[in-house]
Amino acid sequence: MSGIIEAKSLVKTYRRGREEIHALRNVDFHVNEGEFVSIIGPSGSGKTALLNVLGCLDSPTSGSLRLNGTETWGLKESKLVKVRRENIGFVFQQFYLMPTLTARENIELPLLFSKKNRNKSRIDDVLRMVGLSDRGDHLPSQLSGGEMQRVAIGRALINDPRIILADEPTGNLDSVTSQMIFELFRELNRKGLTMVIVTHNLDLARQAQKMYTLRDGQIVGCDDMACISGRSDIEVQQVAV
Amino acid sequence: MNFLTLAAKNLLRRRGRTFLTVLGVAIAITVLFSLLSLNSGYEKELNREMGSLGVHILAVPKGCPYEAASLILHGGVIPKYLTATDLKNVSSIDGIGLATPMLMQQFIRQDAKTGKDVPHVVFGIKIDEVRELKPWWKVQGRFFDDNETNVMLVGRGLADKENLTVGSILPAGPFKNFTIIGILERTGDQDDQFHFVPLAEAQRVFNKTGMLTTIAVKVKDLSQIEKVSVDMEKIPDIQVVTMTQIMGTIMNLAGSARSLLLTVIIIALIISAFGIINTLLMSVNERTREFGMMKAIGASGLDIGKMVLAETVFITLVGGLIGTTAAIVGSSLIEGFVKSMLPFAPRGSMVTLNPELIGFALAFSVVLGLICGLYPAFISSRLSPMEAIRGGVE
Ligand SMILES: Nc1ncnc2c1ncn2[C@@H]1O[C@H](COP(=O)(O)OP(=O)(O)O)[C@@H](O)[C@H]1O
Ligand SMILES: [Mg+2]
Repeated sequence: MSGIIEAKSLVKTYRRGREEIHALRNVDFHVNEGEFVSIIGPSGSGKTALLNVLGCLDSPTSGSLRLNGTETWGLKESKLVKVRRENIGFVFQQFYLMPTLTARENIELPLLFSKKNRNKSRIDDVLRMVGLSDRGDHLPSQLSGGEMQRVAIGRALINDPRIILADEPTGNLDSVTSQMIFELFRELNRKGLTMVIVTHNLDLARQAQKMYTLRDGQIVGCDDMACISGRSDIEVQQVAV
Repeated sequence: MNFLTLAAKNLLRRRGRTFLTVLGVAIAITVLFSLLSLNSGYEKELNREMGSLGVHILAVPKGCPYEAASLILHGGVIPKYLTATDLKNVSSIDGIGLATPMLMQQFIRQDAKTGKDVPHVVFGIKIDEVRELKPWWKVQGRFFDDNETNVMLVGRGLADKENLTVGSILPAGPFKNFTIIGILERTGDQDDQFHFVPLAEAQRVFNKTGMLTTIAVKVKDLSQIEKVSVDMEKIPDIQVVTMTQIMGTIMNLAGSARSLLLTVIIIALIISAFGIINTLLMSVNERTREFGMMKAIGASGLDIGKMVLAETVFITLVGGLIGTTAAIVGSSLIEGFVKSMLPFAPRGSMVTLNPELIGFALAFSVVLGLICGLYPAFISSRLSPMEAIRGGVE
């Protein structure tokens, strides 16, 4: 079965002066369309590096990455932008909202870049989807952390991506709010979006269908939560050790 | 929402920085605009004042002693003569504003008090043309017409010395039955000491029909003096005396003042351009994380470059508007200062509300914005999103 994300032998090496930092060492990563995957691992284990490579925000030192059937290795930045726009929605720990833009405008921002026709009702739909129908005209400073992350999620959704990549999306939120954000992810996943969530929070990570564990730039474990939660329709992933 | 509203909002967000950058641009444009308008005003005024010098070039008969010019300027008789043909040839030269014929002669009269022989200089002139050359001539009494006979104007100095008044008749000499119909107001130059009669009368009295001693020339454009005088030299019989003895010095001074001004302008521009680039780069550095986020949500490098550029053009346009306004308002102050520094500062106002210059200053500030914004825009467009985001987090 061909996945929406197919990464083979990903290597990411950073150079800091003379020192080489191996953020990813030969990572294979496969996600099927519609899957909900979480990634855990200690700090510095390469989670962000992996997510950034998967989202074409960073190019791997070597290895291949197919997104939705498109090989991204060696693509020019201008092509990568397109791949990113069409397939990926990013959510960050720090939300990264534009403080001068209202919730609605923040959600609208990607349309400015993708040049998709701006349909007001589409923005309303997204606002409703993330539960902010009555908060559209608020500035980020007038919103709570959870609400800000909802805006960020709305912004990730506006271009109709196939995949949501979230890097510790609940890292700045309290546990109750974190749980609510996760509920939102699961709801989006039920609508068919593929979710890849990096988190420190094991409780949350376990709510995914699959949980990968990263250590020192390598995937050292894959737990198929589907089995635990009674779902058996998802094949167990081959794990690179 | 579009790039412009986004840029405007971004600028409003960093109000302090935006204000400082706008201020920087405004100051640069103020200086630039003032200097440029001073430059153009200086040139214009200088031209006007040179124009008011009256005669730019004198044509005298060839073979005259080299001192012809001083002879003419101070009075004296030239033994050779020019003709109407020479006048026609001179008049047909390109770039000549006015060429007027003159006959200058001199007669000796005994001074009533001292009993010494005193030379008197008489100019036969075409009054309308001379008045065009010397628009500052004012008369007590009246000017003569070219076809009047037995009429004379005298300079103030001469009138005082000889106790001449309007209506008096010269007591002796070749003009003894000429009526003084006007006395020129003091001009401060040799004109104060001369007699002026209609050209035809001078030719009649001295028996020099059809003869001229001088053709006084005014050029249309001062920068043409050289060219016109070279052309005049080509006419046989004619020797050319330009006023460059006097004017050359002034023009040189003016020229060096102008190159100084231009140097200051260029330095001001370079400094302000670097100031603006620096400010913009700083703000780009501060915003790497924001740009990284934008790339993550689908912006291309070009998009981010466009946004930075839009912001820059915004800043420079507003700065340009403020700067131009300030320059216009403060021009009199600056003018006073600059005038005190320049040699041969013109009397008139040098800063003028020249719409072309205003347009230029504004266009220039936008071009400055484009140029200054290009590098920061390029830098920001090249930031890898990953680097950008990490850079922001750390
Ligand atoms: N741009 C970079 N330059 C140098 N080293 C980096 C860079 N990005 C990440 N690293 C290093 O790569 C390793 C993995 O980092 P990261 O993926 O951010 O870890 P995690 O997200 O799991 O905490 C760390 O040792 C980190 O210091
Ligand atoms: Mg991380």
